[in-house]
Amino acid sequence: MRMIKRLLLLSLPLVAIYSWQAWGHHAFSAEFDKEAPVTLEGTVTKIEWINPHAWIHLAVLDTQGEAIDWMVEGGTPNTLIRAGIHKNSIPIGSEIIVRGYQAKDKRCEPACKANGRDLTFADGRKVFMGSSGTGAPKDGSDPRDSR
Amino acid sequence: MNQLIYNFAVWLDTHTWSTQLHESFYMYNWVESTHVLALMVSLGMLFLIDLRMLGLALPGIPATTIAHRLNRPMFIGFSVMILTGLLLFYAIPVRSSQSLWFRIKVVLLVAAAVNAWLFHRRMKHASSNAAGNWDRAIKAPRRLQMGAALSLCFWVLIVICGRLIAYDWFDCRSEPSAIIATLAGCVADQTQF
Repeated sequence: MRMIKRLLLLSLPLVAIYSWQAWGHHAFSAEFDKEAPVTLEGTVTKIEWINPHAWIHLAVLDTQGEAIDWMVEGGTPNTLIRAGIHKNSIPIGSEIIVRGYQAKDKRCEPACKANGRDLTFADGRKVFMGSSGTGAPKDGSDPRDSR
Repeated sequence: MNQLIYNFAVWLDTHTWSTQLHESFYMYNWVESTHVLALMVSLGMLFLIDLRMLGLALPGIPATTIAHRLNRPMFIGFSVMILTGLLLFYAIPVRSSQSLWFRIKVVLLVAAAVNAWLFHRRMKHASSNAAGNWDRAIKAPRRLQMGAALSLCFWVLIVICGRLIAYDWFDCRSEPSAIIATLAGCVADQTQF
């Protein structure tokens, strides 16, 4: 009886860790929709180079020619500098193409939101701007995705 | 009240150190990682004390012995938690102060602190009177068991709330419902988030 009690008690933290991991690994799915890939081609309007996630704001023209505000989530300043970009790498007004996944909340208040995977500059340079290990789809954009 | 909190947070946001921490390459990572990992020390000790009071761990050892011996590492752990927690708030004051989960966490922290203080008072009282030999019993007296159980509940919820701060489900920026907006402290026509 004591042994069973001990085993049950021991399993509690394991269950907690397991369920916690599930939550942590699906950090991406908590906010972003893997079934909603987007390719955004637009002009940079604002850069938030902050922890825990950098945000790149851009104005994307829709089919009618209206500018839609998008905000795209990137990695931390540390992750981004290791990917080769820093605060001043993306000037306001520059043209960029961002590929990513739209947020589950599609309301676009105050801007349409997406999780950024890779960013292509006007001169053709491509960098991975996202975060690794968040449970984002393995779409080949993350150079650290080996499995 | 919400306006006062918002004004204070906006003022903190103007500090250079706040911005530097917010945009840092390494410091923010260090502070946040330390905050999370120090849980092992603070809550690790606390849970052992609480479980002993409930008769679920280390039953052979006198309860007050465990409480006294683990007290110091526990408080060192809590000091680190508080310090790193304040720094995390200082780095991102406006969003944090308007995070529903952060606000719930603060309320729970206060509740946990009050509970801890009451628990300590009762434990001292129980040790000094004639029935002071509950120490060797597997379970502590009823009131102390209640305090221990509440402590466990509070802290589990505190950790969960802490994790949920990261998610933007109820952020002021996304114009949540009126009730959530009030509870979270969203201010009309605010320009900073």
